[in-house]
Amino acid sequence: MRRAALATGAVLVLALPWAVPRYFVFLASLIVVNSIVAIGLNLLSGYTNQLSFGHAGFLAIGAYAGALLTIHAPALPAPAALLAAGLVTAAVGLALGIPCLRLEGLYLAMATLAFGFVVVEAILNLDWITRGNDGLRVPAAHVGPIALASDTARYYLTVAVAALLILAALNIARTRTGRALLAVRESEIAAQASGVHLAAYKTLAFVLSAFYTGVAGGLFALVVGFLSPDSFDVFLSVDFVAMIIVGGLGSVPGSVLGAAVITTLNDSLAGFQNYRPLIFGAILIVSMLFMPGGIASALRKLSVVGTAGRPRPGPPTAII
Amino acid sequence: MTAAALVHVVVSGLATGSIYALMAISLVIIYNATRTLNFAQGEILMVSTFVGWTAMQVLRAPLVVTLIVAVAAAAGLGWALERLVIRHAISATHFDVLIITLGLSLMLRSAAGLVWTHDEFPFPSFFASRPLAIGPVRLAPVSLGIIGASLALMLALYALFRWTRMGRAMRAVAQNQRAARLMGISVERVYSGSWVLAAVVGAVAGVLIAPVVFLSSKMGLVAINGFTAAVLGGFGSMPGAVVGGMLLGVLENLAPLYLPSSIKHSVPFLVMITILLVRPSGLLGRVARRKV
Repeated sequence: MRRAALATGAVLVLALPWAVPRYFVFLASLIVVNSIVAIGLNLLSGYTNQLSFGHAGFLAIGAYAGALLTIHAPALPAPAALLAAGLVTAAVGLALGIPCLRLEGLYLAMATLAFGFVVVEAILNLDWITRGNDGLRVPAAHVGPIALASDTARYYLTVAVAALLILAALNIARTRTGRALLAVRESEIAAQASGVHLAAYKTLAFVLSAFYTGVAGGLFALVVGFLSPDSFDVFLSVDFVAMIIVGGLGSVPGSVLGAAVITTLNDSLAGFQNYRPLIFGAILIVSMLFMPGGIASALRKLSVVGTAGRPRPGPPTAII
Repeated sequence: MTAAALVHVVVSGLATGSIYALMAISLVIIYNATRTLNFAQGEILMVSTFVGWTAMQVLRAPLVVTLIVAVAAAAGLGWALERLVIRHAISATHFDVLIITLGLSLMLRSAAGLVWTHDEFPFPSFFASRPLAIGPVRLAPVSLGIIGASLALMLALYALFRWTRMGRAMRAVAQNQRAARLMGISVERVYSGSWVLAAVVGAVAGVLIAPVVFLSSKMGLVAINGFTAAVLGGFGSMPGAVVGGMLLGVLENLAPLYLPSSIKHSVPFLVMITILLVRPSGLLGRVARRKV
């Protein structure tokens, strides 16, 4: 049953470019990119209970790193550029994560908020390399002999990368690292008492989160094809937070669903810019008040009801 | 740079700093009562200033009436938001409430844009615009007026916290919510009171700052500098909020003199990151001890 559903989903995802108009292929790529960011953010928030309002900054670093590599090293295949973008962003995540270990909840939220602003300022001021406000045009990258010149080609690349990262995120709970992170989520003190090196694992969550977001940034650069600092403002960070809140904190499928909902909503409200924040604010409040676990937990409840009230004792590994 | 010019820069820094201090105080009032950060604080300031301005346009009323209407609107808005939205999440975690206030902030700004458009409007000031010359020093009356009015409001708040029943109740809840409840204090009423008081302080700050930055749906962003000021002083400490606000205002005005002028808008963020890394408890804050 579950296998059949997954297989159907996979076929639908792969067949999509042949069934819908070009614009929707682009939109779907964007949803996939945002899903990767949402999963990355969830690795941080879901595991260490800390929210970041600076993930647009990480996305920007990954995007500019990927774009600059594509421009200045055209021989490099796209996957290598993406990996490099992820690693660069992970390094920045490490540099930010170590001092942020000292900060909790509220303070971390504000420090990451400030980080987002500083990244945008840095992009503006490094205009000899980032071209500042003029924006950066990203040429088509290639994978081996295939040039990623069409929306469909770029869509398949994002789907392939996302599939790898989603599999890794789903299986991380089976590794020693993942179990340590889960222990940290349940209780920092209990985890520490059981011999989990708290500082190391919290930093690791930060680095992993930055890596995911950096790879997504590289993909973003390829999919959108044009980068400018104002596309990475604080409202994008708020969008990412909204994705994991709406989708479900600490859930990989929830992250993907949340990314799909928010990205589609953003796109369909493009003509009503004035109403967009009004609707987004309402969504945040309503999902916090009435649907605290997000779509993921609402679906889980539904499926429990669907199987004739037989509550399944879901293993903790089912979440993330 | 002459000494007189330096005095001028410092005084206008103190004026901006007073506004930051008022924003920081209103954030701290809510934080102390409910342990959450109110992201919508700046938007409450903006909306209540707009309401006061509308009253002035419609009634052709003097500026004092504008101030009274703005304060009344803020009190009503603060009460309504707490009663209708925040109260429902009273058992939620701080982060849930943070997200809710973030949603409120988005909604209020967007709604204000729909009602009053996103344009900038000039706003009359209580104070004359001709600079005051004291010897070689030239000072803007606006700056002095903002500083004076803010100090007066801070003293009034001090008196309220020190000598009134409500103020004592608020301090008790800030210290220990459960003990306060056991002493017969209605924590719910303190929640309401804190939101109303914070909104009122914000409205006064809004009417004071609107002539300087213009009235617009974006003016709520001043709250971000209020956060920084509160963190700089030590989040939760009232004297810290005042010191942090003043210090931030002066730093922001002095930095462009010695560093590239484009740095001005980054100053609050650089200050915030530095203080969080070096001394997260702020200048006057106490280090929180955690129990298992």
